[in-house]
Amino acid sequence: MGVLLQANNVSKHYGSYVALSDVNMSIAEGEFISIVGPNGAGKSTLVNVLTGFLKPTKGSVHFQGGDIAGIGPVELGRRGMARAFQLVNIFPDLSVRETLSVAVASRLKRIGNPLRSLRRDGELQEAVEDVAAVFGFSQRLDRTTRTLSQGEKKLLDVASAFALQPELILVDEPTSGVSTADKHGIMELLVQAAKRTGVKGIIQVEHDMDLVARYSDRIIALQSGKVLADEAPETFFRNPALISAVVGTRTPVVAERRRA
Amino acid sequence: MTQEALTSARMARPSLVLPRAHGYGIILVILAFMAALPLVASTYVLTLMVPFFAFAIALLGLNLLFGYTGLLSFGHAMFLAIGAYTTAAMTSKLGIMSFELILLTTVAVSVLVAIPVGFLCVRYTKIFFGMLTLAFGMLLHSFLFKFYGITGGDQGMRVLRPLLLGMEIEGGKTAYLTGPFYFYALGLLALLSFVMWRIVQSPFGLHLKAIRDNEQKAAYLGVRVARMRLYAFVISGIYGAIGGSILAISVGLADPEMAYWTQSGNLVFMTVLGGSASFAGPVVGALAFIILQDEVMSLTQYWRFVMGAILILLVIFFPRGLTGIADSIAARFRGGQ
Amino acid sequence: MASLIDIGLGGVFHAAIIFLVAAGLQLVFGVQKIINLACGSFYALGAYFGITAIAFANSMGMSPLLVLPALVLAGFIIGLVGIPIERVLRTVYRRDESFQLLLTFGLLLMFQDVFRFFWGPTPQTLNNAYLAYGTANIFGAQVPTYNLLVILASILIALGLGAILQRTRIGRIVRATAENRDMTEALGVDSKKVFAVVFTVGCMLGTIGGALVVPAGAASLEMAVELVVEAFAVVVIGGLGSMRGAVVGALIVGLIRAVAIIVFPEAEILSIYLVVIAVLILRPAGLFGKAAA
Repeated sequence: MGVLLQANNVSKHYGSYVALSDVNMSIAEGEFISIVGPNGAGKSTLVNVLTGFLKPTKGSVHFQGGDIAGIGPVELGRRGMARAFQLVNIFPDLSVRETLSVAVASRLKRIGNPLRSLRRDGELQEAVEDVAAVFGFSQRLDRTTRTLSQGEKKLLDVASAFALQPELILVDEPTSGVSTADKHGIMELLVQAAKRTGVKGIIQVEHDMDLVARYSDRIIALQSGKVLADEAPETFFRNPALISAVVGTRTPVVAERRRA
Repeated sequence: MTQEALTSARMARPSLVLPRAHGYGIILVILAFMAALPLVASTYVLTLMVPFFAFAIALLGLNLLFGYTGLLSFGHAMFLAIGAYTTAAMTSKLGIMSFELILLTTVAVSVLVAIPVGFLCVRYTKIFFGMLTLAFGMLLHSFLFKFYGITGGDQGMRVLRPLLLGMEIEGGKTAYLTGPFYFYALGLLALLSFVMWRIVQSPFGLHLKAIRDNEQKAAYLGVRVARMRLYAFVISGIYGAIGGSILAISVGLADPEMAYWTQSGNLVFMTVLGGSASFAGPVVGALAFIILQDEVMSLTQYWRFVMGAILILLVIFFPRGLTGIADSIAARFRGGQ
Repeated sequence: MASLIDIGLGGVFHAAIIFLVAAGLQLVFGVQKIINLACGSFYALGAYFGITAIAFANSMGMSPLLVLPALVLAGFIIGLVGIPIERVLRTVYRRDESFQLLLTFGLLLMFQDVFRFFWGPTPQTLNNAYLAYGTANIFGAQVPTYNLLVILASILIALGLGAILQRTRIGRIVRATAENRDMTEALGVDSKKVFAVVFTVGCMLGTIGGALVVPAGAASLEMAVELVVEAFAVVVIGGLGSMRGAVVGALIVGLIRAVAIIVFPEAEILSIYLVVIAVLILRPAGLFGKAAA
């Protein structure tokens, strides 16, 4: 199974402040990785470096074999990586259908001709409806995003990233702001969506350790910019020192792990 | 229609939610009305309409930039001036009288100017974009004003009546403007508005709207933000220049005041008056402005004061302009049934 | 040598004036995050009102030597017009920037006709004041004393403004509101009052600037927009939100104008635009800018 993304000895300095220090990690096809750590551990910086938004001060990040330092969002998408954000990031005045269409139009390279019809583009509309179906938006395609609930907006953000049909998708706290009852639903959805849209790897940043325990293949724990651990959940949760470093002292119940 | 759908329709900008040809339908109505107008209206009214066609075209371009891409330009009048002076130079200095050739040249010149100016301006948004375009507009004005050897300075440059489809038109200026040229300009408006409709309904148009709503997210969904903005700028420039050309012919003169900031202000005012959220808004705004200006100017010479006051009131109370007001009334009417 | 001094001080004089307006802009932007396109109108308003005030004062037998302080006073008084205008502007604070631009643009339009109504379309001047102050000899150049006094006044105002912002309680409150409005509100500061004060002070800086420039130039209908573009140049060069930037930007713009007037009068405004473009390409945030475009 091929390696999708690899970070080699990545460090990120802001003047004298060290945000990341010698981070090594990788994700292979078929894997679901969770990045965990207390606030200020460097998770956001790591995500920004992994998505090519920031250039590492030292070391390199390779995606599908290519160095992605500072490549920017459009090129990132072109190469096969998509990202969903922590804070709700939507197009307020566009409908659900239009939001998904933006991504699909980029993917199908429909921008060249400014006179072609969006509405009558069968292939595009079908692709939009497929993604919408996976995420449960089929009945709400024509709702304006502004009118959706916070949770729905969050989900749409993730759905639009999936609409790019990336190889690797990075989701930043997909269940933050979502009620506990819905959290598992979202995670199931993520896993299902990946299967149905051909996404080969998921990296998530998460705080909810129950979800992390249940769904991840591997957990990468960050603390003060360094990788504290890079292990499967079983091994991770057997180590109380590790758990307290990341979460606090409570040891979460390790439910039966969900195979991705 | 369910209550939920109604609520979202009311809250939404006109998008795919509202009836299909909502935006273009209004245009068709206006076009049909204008086509029938010569049968009933006086010559005076008809001469008022040709500038309306010119402004409507220029505004369709401006609104691509503002309503659809989110960039407010305070220098759009520079393209009016470019169209006007190109037309003037070709008819009175070079003796080229074919309107078709003039239009093509105008388009070419506007593209040549729009690309570098746009390239510089679209890297910035909102305030900076507004100020930069204001500066470029005034730069052109100052150039047109000071280099009177080339441009005729504040006297302007004469614009002769060009041949339409190769045909010489009998009769004087009024017959030309209220007859063949009226219909030619109307035809151009019909064609260009249709093209613009196709543009905003395309994936390209959708990407522009995405940029307007959230440029960062748009980039992460594969939208090339700066490039798209540049394209929108160039297209808006083309439309502005064609509008300027028509305007110059109707006035018979190209003068530096066409590039002055108050002219750009007129264009912005028209857009806000009609409503930038709707496709037909700017066209409605142009019509309303022409009528309003005619009325107000006959009452007082201080029409800029009136216009500024109306603009402020619109911004505070009716930011979606006349079409927004019409939408609200229509929605309430539909809700009541 | 003498002509260099002449040009140099001419440039600094112009910089002193434009600094006042730019400082007003920066203050308002720094605290309220709005750009007031009508700043040029306040400048013109100060100029026109200054002329009327002096004409009135002269008819009352005021000594010509008191013209400068009288102009500052006139600028100060008419700057109070900022209070009602801020109330109007308040309605669009939390809205999209485009609305703020549109509203201040509407003001710009309205003011044009206000000027035309009260003062007519032809430029107005005030020439006797210059003569009253005479000239001074600086390294061989005969420089109008008035210009030197204005430069001094501008420096004093700048220092005074700096002192107020850095050392007084109200200055701290203003700076805190600029940093984080919601936080200061949570701490009990009435940000509405802060905004009203800041905006009015910003206006006054503009009106005083306009009033002071009158003896050296004229009050005309074109001044408002010409100034908007120049003030914009200062802000771009110096950086948005920075007072230091306003000083440096004003000096650069003032000197460029002074040089351009002598060397190539046609290109006077052109040269400013070119510098703006160059700065935008090389260093978009300006020399001291905090905010990126």
